[in-house]
Amino acid sequence: MTNFFMTDRRDAIKALLAISAAGALSACLEGPADSGGSTTVSSAPTLSASEMALVSALAQTIIPKTETAGAIEAVVPATIQSLFTEWADDNYRTYWRAGLDKLEKHFVRSGGQPFAKMTASQQSNLLGKYDTQAFAENGFDDFYKSLKSTVATAYYMSEPGASEELAYESVPGEWRGCVPLSEFPKTWAT
Amino acid sequence: MDFDAIVVGSGMSGGWAAKELCERGLKVCVLERGKPTEPTRDYSDFLEPWETKHLDRISKQTAERDFPITGVNYAMKESNRHLWMTDREQPYQRTDDQSFNWRRGAHVGGRSLLWGRASYRFSPFDFEVNKLDGEGVDWPVRYDDIAPWYDHVEKFAGIAGNRDGIEQLPDGKHFQPAFEHTCAELDLKEKLKVSFPERKLIMGRVAHLTKPTEEQLALGRGQCQARNRCNHGCSFGAYFSSNHATLPAAERTGNLTLIPNSAVSKLIHDPVKNRITGVQVVDTETGAGTTHTAKIVFVNASTIGTTLILLNSATEDRPNGLANSSDQLGRNLMDHIGGSQVVAHVPGHLDKYFYGRRPIGAYIPRYRNYPKQEESYKRGWGYQVYSWREGWGANKGIGESFKTGNQTPGPWGIMLDAFGECLPDPTNTVRAHKTKTDKWGQPIAVVDFKLGSNEEALMRAAHADAFEILKAAGFNGFYEATKPDDNLNGVLGRIHEMGTARMGRDPKTSVLNGWNQSHDIPNLFVTDGSFMTSSAVQNPSLTYMAFSARAAHHAADLLQEGEL
Repeated sequence: MTNFFMTDRRDAIKALLAISAAGALSACLEGPADSGGSTTVSSAPTLSASEMALVSALAQTIIPKTETAGAIEAVVPATIQSLFTEWADDNYRTYWRAGLDKLEKHFVRSGGQPFAKMTASQQSNLLGKYDTQAFAENGFDDFYKSLKSTVATAYYMSEPGASEELAYESVPGEWRGCVPLSEFPKTWAT
Repeated sequence: MDFDAIVVGSGMSGGWAAKELCERGLKVCVLERGKPTEPTRDYSDFLEPWETKHLDRISKQTAERDFPITGVNYAMKESNRHLWMTDREQPYQRTDDQSFNWRRGAHVGGRSLLWGRASYRFSPFDFEVNKLDGEGVDWPVRYDDIAPWYDHVEKFAGIAGNRDGIEQLPDGKHFQPAFEHTCAELDLKEKLKVSFPERKLIMGRVAHLTKPTEEQLALGRGQCQARNRCNHGCSFGAYFSSNHATLPAAERTGNLTLIPNSAVSKLIHDPVKNRITGVQVVDTETGAGTTHTAKIVFVNASTIGTTLILLNSATEDRPNGLANSSDQLGRNLMDHIGGSQVVAHVPGHLDKYFYGRRPIGAYIPRYRNYPKQEESYKRGWGYQVYSWREGWGANKGIGESFKTGNQTPGPWGIMLDAFGECLPDPTNTVRAHKTKTDKWGQPIAVVDFKLGSNEEALMRAAHADAFEILKAAGFNGFYEATKPDDNLNGVLGRIHEMGTARMGRDPKTSVLNGWNQSHDIPNLFVTDGSFMTSSAVQNPSLTYMAFSARAAHHAADLLQEGEL
């Protein structure tokens, strides 16, 4: 199946509907991002250098370069900047700015400096804990889950993410409904 | 006369009318409101995921500017949004707090290029049920009348499916090989045989070529490549569309004139001869007005579009619109009812996966109130069934373990998505706005479409049954993607709107006769979804095709016999 927006089950269903004729209802699942931010934030339609540094560091920590490309090699930060600049509306921008600001404050508090300035192991340690809590406690930080989903989507839709990290066939040529996993062991990108 | 016949609209039904009329030797003009469709320019089916803009999501500003009423739906992407009619181009209004979404094409081929492609026959029972339970009016047609035309359109269009031998979902004669089930579907299929033998899971029947015929190959169509990029157009012509099937067939007769960018403003009626004598259009590029004339006119502008044209063609002696002596034009709007989507985890089968991207799911045909009325509600529903293995996601974890976790497919899941029958209700209406007009000066549509008590009861029953089916199969981890309570303010729209110019036996209570011909005006035919007397639960396009072909031959007969 296609996995475009999977932060949670609701998003999994949305992704499913994206490929189905049954999806006439999916629009009702497209709830707007809840812009809960009350912090005073810039209204510029571009993520600032410090915001981009944070986004890049988060993306790299979530999906680092291993034997395969990571989020940086898959130009995930640039994809996010382009979404922010050209795709988002003011609600969405406010939501992201407030969310990033809250995350940065948390890391400064717990790690003593901006997230992007930390060592890789400190980033991984602190974000690992934060991630665990975000997925354990409903409502702990929905923005973080949304950011992570965007990072993952941008990565797995990128050329290395789709065709090297996962399996992708542009033109499968045929459909086979029930094949041994051993023949096709990797998750389909789409 | 400029032409023998004018067909208004080049979509699913208009393409069929054009093909059949051209093949009968008539000179046919097809008027299309939308732009020309040029596959090399307009299709995005070869765009790789990484070549899309903004992850192929339509931007917030675009959605707000172009689709403020209809919203963005599952098939709308940044890369195919030029195929969708915007609310700016053709606005409409709906009653406050209602939710009907009018989704249309904006190009030659219309929604035949964007449809879900599920292709099911109505059954003998579906044509008799109005008479049996007293809802609406009796269909003036029975299954035996239309069966040869189902054969005719299925053979030409190409439908992949199994002959399942289920009487409420008749088989075709010319099916091409069906797509395969996933092992999650096979699991449910086997368990249903034990738990609910009358509820049968079958492979969806779909208008895709899996073994193209000589005739289909000669039209330049090819075999389905299992890409599931269908909503982007198909460069292989593998699924049925006007663009790759009926219009090329009409074209090769030498009898077709296709005029895009032509928004019909009205039909011109001669009260002395009682005939439609012309079709007045506005060129959407230049704003210039033209009138085309013909001996017969087929209106296939889609249910709401057709209704608007007939209402907007009112004259002094016919102030309620043309072909509306029954006062039924614009009434009885129906669509399939949604509101129940139940997902479950399917244990096991972890050593199995699938290859390719199947363009259709499985199907559970209607089983309630069949063949006898047994429940407190009338009619029933069918389930479209989807299954998958969970793929990559943004689940918990970061770093290398997050990456490797996503490389292995997750557990199997399945979803039952109920499509319920909608009763014909004369108070569900499409009207022409008294003052507001679109940019071509045509009064806009006003849609008033409530969810009735029967529809609500039926969807609640479908929801309960979905849990029952999935629980009896031993599945778990239930999740209600949509539940009936979410969905009580009107009808969202499955993009199956129909019924506003229904056919019937009595001119006092119906707009069209059993040949899709106006009771009032003999040279006027309507064969898009507006002719439907009841909705049944099956996806309706195949039925529109069959009635279009049948009506076209009848019209050609009448013309050639000198009756028109």
